[in-house]
Amino acid sequence: MQLIDTNVNLGPWPFTPVPDRTGPELAAHLAASGVRRALVSHLGAVFQPEPMVTNRKLFAAVKKTAGLLPVPVINPALANWREQLAECLAAGPIRAVKIFPNYHNYSLGARKLDAFMAAIADAGLRLIVNVRLEDERHKYFALRIKGVPVKQMDAFLARNPKHHVLFSGIYKGEIDKLAPKYKNFSAEIAFCEITNVLEVMLRTFPARRLMLGTCTPLLSTRGNVDKLRCAHIPAGAKALIGADNARRFFKL
Amino acid sequence: MRIIDVHTHPVFRGLSLFGKPTSLNRVIAHGRRHNIVHMIVLGDVLLYGATPNAEQLRKINNDTIRVVKARPDYFTGFIYLNPLLGERANMAEAERCLAVPGFRGIKLEIANNSSHPAMRHVAKVARTFNLPVLQHSWSTTNIKDRQHQSDPADTALFARRNPDVKVIMAHLTGIGFRGVLEAKGLPNLYIDTSGGYPEEYLIEFAAEHIGADHVLYGSDLPIRENSCTIGRILDTKLSAADKQKMLFGNTARLLNLNLN
Repeated sequence: MQLIDTNVNLGPWPFTPVPDRTGPELAAHLAASGVRRALVSHLGAVFQPEPMVTNRKLFAAVKKTAGLLPVPVINPALANWREQLAECLAAGPIRAVKIFPNYHNYSLGARKLDAFMAAIADAGLRLIVNVRLEDERHKYFALRIKGVPVKQMDAFLARNPKHHVLFSGIYKGEIDKLAPKYKNFSAEIAFCEITNVLEVMLRTFPARRLMLGTCTPLLSTRGNVDKLRCAHIPAGAKALIGADNARRFFKL
Repeated sequence: MRIIDVHTHPVFRGLSLFGKPTSLNRVIAHGRRHNIVHMIVLGDVLLYGATPNAEQLRKINNDTIRVVKARPDYFTGFIYLNPLLGERANMAEAERCLAVPGFRGIKLEIANNSSHPAMRHVAKVARTFNLPVLQHSWSTTNIKDRQHQSDPADTALFARRNPDVKVIMAHLTGIGFRGVLEAKGLPNLYIDTSGGYPEEYLIEFAAEHIGADHVLYGSDLPIRENSCTIGRILDTKLSAADKQKMLFGNTARLLNLNLN
C-alpha cells in the first residue's frame, strides 16, 4: 500500500525528548513504517516570533531528501506575512502552507485571514490548519494553549466556502460536529481514535476526505500508520486515505 | 507475536462499537485480527458515575461475570470495587465474583484518590485473595480533580504502603514521564500502556526506568484503537524479547494465565 503522510515534523520539541532528526534520518524512520512521501513542517516555527528562521531550516533539511515535501509555516497575524509567503514560494516548490492559530495567538475565524486566504489561492497553494499538536491533558504545565475551538473552525469554513482546507490534529468528535454543515474540509487521522476508528468514521464521513497523518515525531509513526493498515475497511478506502487523496489534494 | 490486552471494557454502554447488545464474538474476532489471544475485562466502570453503590457494583460485575462465563478461553475478569463502601461490602463483592472461575484481579476507577485511607479495605481484599489491583491513574498536573483522580504519586504511595500487593498503575500516557519516575524502584508496581494517544518515546522511557518486565500492554478498548496501541510498542527500538514481555509475557506471568 502506498502511503503519503500529511503530518510530519522536523526539529526538536521543548517539552518531551523526541528525536531531532535530519532529513535523511526522518526519511529512513518513515520508510520503516512504509511511508515513502511526507509533507513536512518544522516544529521550531511553532514557538518562534517569526517563522521564517525555521522555514529556512526546513527547506535546507529536505532539499536533498527524496520524498520529503516542505510545508512551511506562515503566521498571517504578523505584518510581514506577505513577505513570508513570497520567500517560501521563491524557495519552493511548495504545494501547501500550514498555520497554527492557537500557538500564534489569533482566531481562525478572524476577518484578517481573508486577504491571506486570497493570496494562497492566487499562489495555487493548499492550506493545512493545525488544530493541535498534543493532547491538552498532557501539555507541559506552564503551556496553557488549547486546541483550535470548533467554533472557530466552523466560522472559518463558513467564511471560506470556496477554499477546501485540511485540518491536521483534529479529534474525531470535532469532525463529527463539522461534517454535517461543511464539505469544504478534509481531515488527517493522527488524533482520531476509538476502537475501529476508520470503520466507524466512514459511516458518516467520506473516505475521499480523510488522509493519513502521524504527527511524527510527537506521536508514534507506526502506531498511526497501523491504524490505517490494519483497519477493517475496503481496500479502495484504504488507498484513498493512504495516498490517493493527498496526491489529488496536493497535486503530487 | 501473541498479545494479551490487560485493559479492556468490552461492555461499554456509552459506545456501541460492537452493536447492541455487545456481541462477544465480534469483540473476539476484532481481537484476533490484532493477534490478541486474551483480554482482561475491567467492567463498564463509569456506568453509574464515579462512586457506584453496592447494588450498582453488583450490576457492573454481573456484566463481567456474563462475559467471563460465556468465553472463559478469551476473557479474564477483574472485580470492580469501590473502596469507600468499606471492608465488609468490598470483601463480600469479591467473594461473590470469585465464586465464578475466571476472576484474577481488582479494578479501581475514580471513586477516590488512591492515597485515601479507605484503600486499606481494597488492600485487604487483594491480600486475602492474592489479587493484583489495577488502579486508574492520570497525572493531575492539568486535571485538577484530585479527590477522584489518582495522580501517579498517589498510586505509587498505595503500592509503597502495601508492598505485598501487586499494583498496576493504568494509563502510561496519562501518567507521563513524571509518572514513570514515581513508579521507579517499586518491585510490586507495574504500568499498563493503555489510554491516551501514542506519544513518542514513553514506552522506551518506561522500559529504561522501571524495566520491560514491569510494563504491560493495554488498550482501553473501546476507547482506543488496538492497531495503534500495539504499533506504538512495535515501533520502539526495544529488543524483540522486551516487546514480547510487554505484549504477552508480563501479564501472563502476573495473572498466572496458562494460554498454551
